[in-house]
Amino acid sequence: MDVTLIDSPVANVANIARGLREAGATLDVTRDAEAIARAAKIVLPGVGSFIAAMRWIEENRIDDAIRTAVENGASLLGICVGHQALFEASYEMGVTRGLGLVAGEVKKFEGALPVPQIGWNRVTANGSPLFDGIASGTSFYFVNSYAVSNAPNEIARADYGGPFTAAVQNGRVFGVQFHPEKSSAAGLRVLRNFAAWT
Amino acid sequence: MDVIPSLDLLGGRVVRLTRGDFATAHAYGEPEAVLESLNVPRGSRLHIVDLEGSRSGAPVETKNVARLAARDLRVQVGGGIRSVDDARRWLDCGAQKVVIGTVAADSPNTLHAIVDAAGAERVIAAVDVRDGIVRVAGWERDAERTLAEVLATIRENGIQEILITDISRDGVMRGPSFAMYRELRRQECLRSTANGAQTFLSAPSIIASGGVSTIGDVVSLARLPNISGCVIGKALLDRKIDLAEARARATVPNAIPERVIPCLDVRDGRVVKGINFRGIRDAGDPVECAKRYEAEGADELVILDISATDHGRETALETVHRVAVALFIPLTVGGGVRSVDDFRSMLRAGADRVAINTAALKNPQLIADCAREFGVQAVVLSCDAKDGHAMVRSGKESTGIDAVEWCAEAERLGAGEILLTSVNRDGTNSGFDIELLRAVTARVKISVIASGGAGTLQHFRDAIEAGGARAVLAASLFHDRVLTVRDVKRYLDTEGIPVRW
Repeated sequence: MDVTLIDSPVANVANIARGLREAGATLDVTRDAEAIARAAKIVLPGVGSFIAAMRWIEENRIDDAIRTAVENGASLLGICVGHQALFEASYEMGVTRGLGLVAGEVKKFEGALPVPQIGWNRVTANGSPLFDGIASGTSFYFVNSYAVSNAPNEIARADYGGPFTAAVQNGRVFGVQFHPEKSSAAGLRVLRNFAAWT
Repeated sequence: MDVIPSLDLLGGRVVRLTRGDFATAHAYGEPEAVLESLNVPRGSRLHIVDLEGSRSGAPVETKNVARLAARDLRVQVGGGIRSVDDARRWLDCGAQKVVIGTVAADSPNTLHAIVDAAGAERVIAAVDVRDGIVRVAGWERDAERTLAEVLATIRENGIQEILITDISRDGVMRGPSFAMYRELRRQECLRSTANGAQTFLSAPSIIASGGVSTIGDVVSLARLPNISGCVIGKALLDRKIDLAEARARATVPNAIPERVIPCLDVRDGRVVKGINFRGIRDAGDPVECAKRYEAEGADELVILDISATDHGRETALETVHRVAVALFIPLTVGGGVRSVDDFRSMLRAGADRVAINTAALKNPQLIADCAREFGVQAVVLSCDAKDGHAMVRSGKESTGIDAVEWCAEAERLGAGEILLTSVNRDGTNSGFDIELLRAVTARVKISVIASGGAGTLQHFRDAIEAGGARAVLAASLFHDRVLTVRDVKRYLDTEGIPVRW
C-alpha cells in the first residue's frame, strides 16, 4: 500500500505520516511536483490558514501535479485544511480559490457556538468505503473554524451549531475535515480504508 | 429542551428578586426594551411572572401581558391566579398558557375547575420547593400538602407540564437542583413500575426553574430525560447566558462528547505522583501508561512535567516525544514553558497543545503571543487555584491574583481552553471543587478541564453536570487503577452524559 504524502510546510506531516504507517501504508513523503504527478495514491495534509496552504500549493505547482495525478486515475485524500483545499473556494478573509476537485465552498461556522471547534464530535457517515467498519455516530477529533455545509459529494456529516460536511468523496477524491491521525482507532481505520482502497 | 426567557414584572417594569424577597427588587427596565436587548426571536416562548399579582392574589399586569402577547410571543403567565376568572382574564388578554402555583398546591378543587374551563393543555402547574417543602403565596408560606400529594393532584388533572422551582437556588446563581430533578425522575419511574406503563407515558414533563446560571447548566438540564424546558431569568438579564447559544446547545446536548483525560505527572522521565504537589513517589513509565490509557478510551492525554532542574526539563522534551509517537489521541503538555520558544519546542516534540501557567502569570502577553504564533487551539491556560487565588511554582506560591478573573483574562488574551486545578482538592479524592468550576465556567466561553480531587465516579459526573466542565482529568486515581478511564466513561454514559466510544 504505497502512499505519497505531500510534505507541505503548512501541515502536521509527521503525525499524519505516523498514522498512515500505523495504518499499514508505505510512504513517500515528498514536495517534488513530478513525483506527486506520477503518484497513484496521494494524501494532502494541512493545518492553520487556507490562504497559506493554497499559496504554498500554487507556488510549488503542486496544484497542477495533483490534477494531473487525479486525471490519470490517482486517488487522493485531503485532511483538515487539505480537505478544504479540494473545494472550489474558501471565504477565509476574502475569497480564495481552491483546487476545485469537489463542489462546494468553505465558510466560517455560523451560529452561537464558540469558534474554533476544538475536540471530538460525532460523525454520521452514509456508507462510503472510507468509513468501512466504523459505526455511525463514532466521534472524530476536529480543530476548525471553517467548514463546508451540505457539499453535494458529502459522505459524512457532523453538527456544530448546525450540520456541516465532515467528509466528501467525488470519484477517487476524498476529504475529511477531522484529524484521523488524532482520532484513535476510528481515525486509523479511515486511513487504512483509504490506503487499502482500490 | 425549550429555553424559555423569564421576565418578572412589578409596576410595569422587569425586576428580579433574590430568594423571593420583595425588598431585594432590582429593576431592569421596560419589558419591550428588555426583550429586544435579549434578542428574543418572534414565536419564542416567554414566561411572565406578575409579582404584585402573586402577592395580592389577583391579576395586575394584564395590560403589559396583552402588549407582549401581541408581539408574536407565546406567553405563559403566572402569579396570583386563584380562580377560574383570574385564569380567563389572562387567556383573554392573549396569554397562551396560565401558570398555576398556590392553587395547584393548596386547592385541588379550584385547580380542577381551572383545568375544566381552560383545558389541561393551557395549564402549567408551578411548584415552588424549598428543602423538599412546597411554598406558596409568593414563597411566603408553606403549602398545606406535601410535594408528593401536590404532584399527584397535578397528574390527576391531566396537566402536561410542571414548572418546578427550587427556590433556595433561585436568583443566587448556584446552579439548578440536578439532584432534585433526578430524584423526581426516580420516583416517577418507581410509580410507573407500580402502576404500569400507561401512567408513565402520561407523566407530565418538567420545566426546570431556578439557579440556571451558565451555558453548562442548560446543557446538563437538556440531558435529563424528564426535563422539557428550562426557564431562565437573571442569567439572561445579567448577560451570563446568551439566549441563542443556550438554544443551540439545548437542541443537541449530546452531540459533543465530554472528555475523560488521564494526566501523567512526569519528573526526570518517570511518572510520579504526590499529594498536594508534595510527597512525590515513582509510578511508572510514561509511554507504557499513555498507551494503556489510549486503549482504555482516554480522549486526550495530559503530561505535566514537574522537573525542578534544567536537566530534568531536557529529559521532558524527550519524554514528550516518546509519548507523542506512541499515541493517536491529542496530547497536551505543560510544565516549565517560559517563552514562545519553549512552547514551539513542545509542539515540535509532538504536543498538540501546550499548557502555560507560571510564565503566563508573570507575563500575560505570552498567552497572546503563543495564540498568534500557533493558534488558539494550541494554547491551554493551566490555572492552579488555592483558596481562590492563582498559584505559581507547582501550586506552592500564591500570586494573590483572583483565579476566576485570571481565567477570564487568559480567555481574552487568546487561550483556547483552561485546565483548572484545585490545589486544595488535589490528591484528596474528596471531589472536584464545584464552586470553583462554576465560578470559572460562568465567566468564560472556552471549555474548562476540571482537575484536582477526583475520588469517585459521581465526582466526575458532578464536575460536568453541576460544575459545567467540558472535560474531567485525574492522575493518581487512574495510576493506582482505583478506577479505569473505561469505568468513568461507562458511568457517565449511564448518567446520560455523552462520551466517545
